[in-house]
Amino acid sequence: MKQLANWFRRKQLERDLDRELRYHVDRRVTDLQNSGFSENQARRQAILELGGPAQIQEQVRDVWLTRWLRDLAYDLRFSVRSFRKTPTFTIAAVLSLMLGIGATTALYSLIDQIVLRALSVDHPERLVLFNWNGEQLAETFGSDNLMSYPICRDLQQQKQFFDGVFCRAATTINFSTGGEPRLTAAELVSGTYFSVLGVSPALGRLLMIDDDQVPGSSPVVVLSYDFWQNQFGGAQDIVGRTVLVNQHPMTVVGVAAPTFHGIDVGEVPSVWIPAVMSAQSIPGFETMLDRRTRWMQILGGLKQNVSLAEAKTGLQPWFKAMLDEDTRRTDFSRFSAEQRRQFLASTLDLTAAPEGHSVLRHDLSRPLWVLFVATAVLLALACLNVAGLFLARGSARHREISTRLALGASRGRIGRQLLTDSVLLAFAGGLLGVVMAPVAVRALIAFLPHNTAANDLQANVDTRLLLFAFLISLVAGFLAGSAPALQAGRKSLDSSLRERGGTPSGGLALRRAIVTAQIAFTLVLVIAAGLFVRTLSGLLIKGPGFDTSSLISFGIKPALNGYSGAEENRLIRRITEGLRDSSSIQASAIAHDQLLLGGTWSNSLTIQARERYITDREVQMNAVTPGFFATLGARIVAGRDFNEHDALNVIAANQSLPVSQSGQRAVIVNEAFVKRYFGGRNPLGARVAMGSAPDAKPDSEIVGVVGNISYRDVREQWEQAYFPIGTELSGSNFYVRFRGTPESAFRSIRAILHNADPTLPISYFRTLDEQIDRSLNTERMLAALSSSFGTLALLLTLVGLYGVMSFVVTQRTREIGIRLALGASRWSAIWLILRDASAMILMGIGIGLPLVWVLGRLVESQLYGVKSSDSTVICITVLILCSTGLSAALIPAHRASGVSPTDALRAE
Amino acid sequence: MKRFPIPQGTLDMLILQIVSLEPLHGYGIAQRLEQISRSVVQVNQGSLYPALHRLELKGWLKGKWKQSEIGREAKFYSLTPTGRLQLDTEKSSWARLAGAVQLIFDESSGS
Repeated sequence: MKQLANWFRRKQLERDLDRELRYHVDRRVTDLQNSGFSENQARRQAILELGGPAQIQEQVRDVWLTRWLRDLAYDLRFSVRSFRKTPTFTIAAVLSLMLGIGATTALYSLIDQIVLRALSVDHPERLVLFNWNGEQLAETFGSDNLMSYPICRDLQQQKQFFDGVFCRAATTINFSTGGEPRLTAAELVSGTYFSVLGVSPALGRLLMIDDDQVPGSSPVVVLSYDFWQNQFGGAQDIVGRTVLVNQHPMTVVGVAAPTFHGIDVGEVPSVWIPAVMSAQSIPGFETMLDRRTRWMQILGGLKQNVSLAEAKTGLQPWFKAMLDEDTRRTDFSRFSAEQRRQFLASTLDLTAAPEGHSVLRHDLSRPLWVLFVATAVLLALACLNVAGLFLARGSARHREISTRLALGASRGRIGRQLLTDSVLLAFAGGLLGVVMAPVAVRALIAFLPHNTAANDLQANVDTRLLLFAFLISLVAGFLAGSAPALQAGRKSLDSSLRERGGTPSGGLALRRAIVTAQIAFTLVLVIAAGLFVRTLSGLLIKGPGFDTSSLISFGIKPALNGYSGAEENRLIRRITEGLRDSSSIQASAIAHDQLLLGGTWSNSLTIQARERYITDREVQMNAVTPGFFATLGARIVAGRDFNEHDALNVIAANQSLPVSQSGQRAVIVNEAFVKRYFGGRNPLGARVAMGSAPDAKPDSEIVGVVGNISYRDVREQWEQAYFPIGTELSGSNFYVRFRGTPESAFRSIRAILHNADPTLPISYFRTLDEQIDRSLNTERMLAALSSSFGTLALLLTLVGLYGVMSFVVTQRTREIGIRLALGASRWSAIWLILRDASAMILMGIGIGLPLVWVLGRLVESQLYGVKSSDSTVICITVLILCSTGLSAALIPAHRASGVSPTDALRAE
Repeated sequence: MKRFPIPQGTLDMLILQIVSLEPLHGYGIAQRLEQISRSVVQVNQGSLYPALHRLELKGWLKGKWKQSEIGREAKFYSLTPTGRLQLDTEKSSWARLAGAVQLIFDESSGS
């Protein structure tokens, strides 16, 4: 370290040393003169005794800076000077590395934030996530790792393993301070949430165990720091204010610390509400204390001296006992023996969760790793490209290097100089890459879906990212520089001096190897691009099974504004009438659950046809109004659509009134359902019941079959059952087919809604085309990025191939001239060069194909309608590589055919 | 009598010892070395300055520009506290080494 500091004050050190030595010599001269020497003699004698000031200065400099640091300094200065002399080379090399390092750094930034980074809480390493492995026999609300609230309370008693256990569920609320309510992201949490995470308040207090005792009794909320700043301007008197959550008054008791953004990087809550207030926060949700309702993630903080495995083993007796106890509860009688058996076979799993819990991570980690591997390949390619450029420059510089060798420089020393060159270039590229990375990260974040809850992703460069960029730059520098450095170390001195001026054989074999490797990597990237583009286009062509143009959907949640069931029905009727009367609306319908959002309402069905059986997997269900399929433009392939009577029957059944008309409730199933459960036979007239309990009464008749339409996402094709929508809607999703432009349709719909209730917020409003885009976000990201990577790779490789072939032509000019003079045709000269290029291309493809096979497994799960070994994609890629590669070689080949025999021989 | 070259590593110890008596400049140290070791040990003056700078970098010596006895500014080296510790350890380990070597000689001549 001191040596490094010395580097910056070396001028001062030099001056001092000079003075010091001068003093020594002068004193010695005086002494010698006193003993009778003449001045000249004395001076010569003094210097002789000292051993030459220049030499001493050198030795002392070595002390100051240590040897290698000084050499490095000289190397760096020399590198910079030689880069200045070859600007084209430098720019090409730095740009290649910038692209490679920038892309890798950007991907790493996202992976770090979404997948790897621990929460900014006390002891994230002790956080564990509970997961129920097996059948919970519970109704599901939410994404994954769900369990019931009572289980969380049970786990809180396991004090020998945990410092604390908390549960949480993300939701959306209508939040207002008296004015117009706003949809806001909230998190329902147990009273232990903040204490387990070790979060401190910025203001007031946070939620405590006392806030989470009796359902409905703790109308208190904690605000996030950002929400407090943005919505309340950081008002100091916020604590004690009353706010409205879904029209229920609640008191703000505090603001969380600014660094705390919840435990889900993809969904940052603005408000925290005690779980006991779930009925107020999720209208219609009354089953918080039900053990057969799973809707929360449960996490715990391990005690300091307890390991994950110990806690897991230790919890099993309690878990088994709980399963046993559950089966004895009264509500358990509705399950069959088989279901009980599956239930009792469940186990409790614990996983380390320093990063918290995130749906975004669950969905994106695989695609992100795929892209990261692609960027790593791209970076390797960029390094190869720079290595090729270096070798090309190396042959131009071979005279300088031979001279240095001849003057006594060691091969190691020369190799180190070349490595310094490449590492310096890599750092320049890395620096530009780091500057570029935030732009790329911002573009990548734009691919992610936008929800009410903001994500916590930033396009900032932090120290972790800098460290990463530094490391990969170093690695890239060494990779790019090792080939030329080896080359310089290997070449024998006299052979390079004996070579004829201008046509050194410098590393041709190595350059061929590099281009071959580049072709192999490019093959991988271009095939990946082909697979992802085919996946995306396949999904776009397949479509959702209905016509998305001129289709808008929007949602309202009147219950969040305090509407009762009857009031909500009246409101929806008003809106429906408004839509029917509007001239710009062609048709409209309502669905209970939104399509293409990534989630579904699923349950098993009991089917009563000739015999009674239960579906072997959950069926996706939705409730819709009559005319829903017609609005979407989905085909009714058999039977009929719902009509008004079907809807009335639902209401009648719900209110225990006599069922009118046919007396049957109606259900419509899709073609996939018919295929799986009826083997293509006519299902009309068969009856179904929701659920799989032995006492389920199959009283809904299948009245129609509809074509397959996408529910969860475009990719999936699943068995579906549609019920007529009845009363007690909590939230409605409207699907509207309009005439004219979407803008005018948006305007008239807004007007209709405003007319119905000006204070009602719209939870979302978008065209179905947008919805499809959104649902295909990941696929679009993969296709777009892999195509650009593939294109870049191809360009880099073609440049490399062109460079090597030009070099070959220059080298073989004499040989070609002689052949031509002896009567060979110009075609044979072209063929000579093309054959050379083809060998490299084919060899590259031969190496690349096994790589494709290996990496194919990584991407298989991301593909749709195409296998990773898809022959069309592979053939097209090979064709592209061969044709573009040969075209790149054709230019030098053409030059070869134009060699004039006399010129070639005279060039000697 | 033929002077033998100074053993590897002992130059540093000698410099520390000389400077431990009083702060001295390079020329002074050279003269003192010359006096102490006259006709016994041969010190190459050329290695003196690299050694001084090495000891300074290690933090055992401290250099300071001061007026010398002839009125000109010279760089005076003095011992730092860590340098004193170093000198003590080197002295004791030298003594142990010398003692051990002597012991071996005595044993061999005694038998």
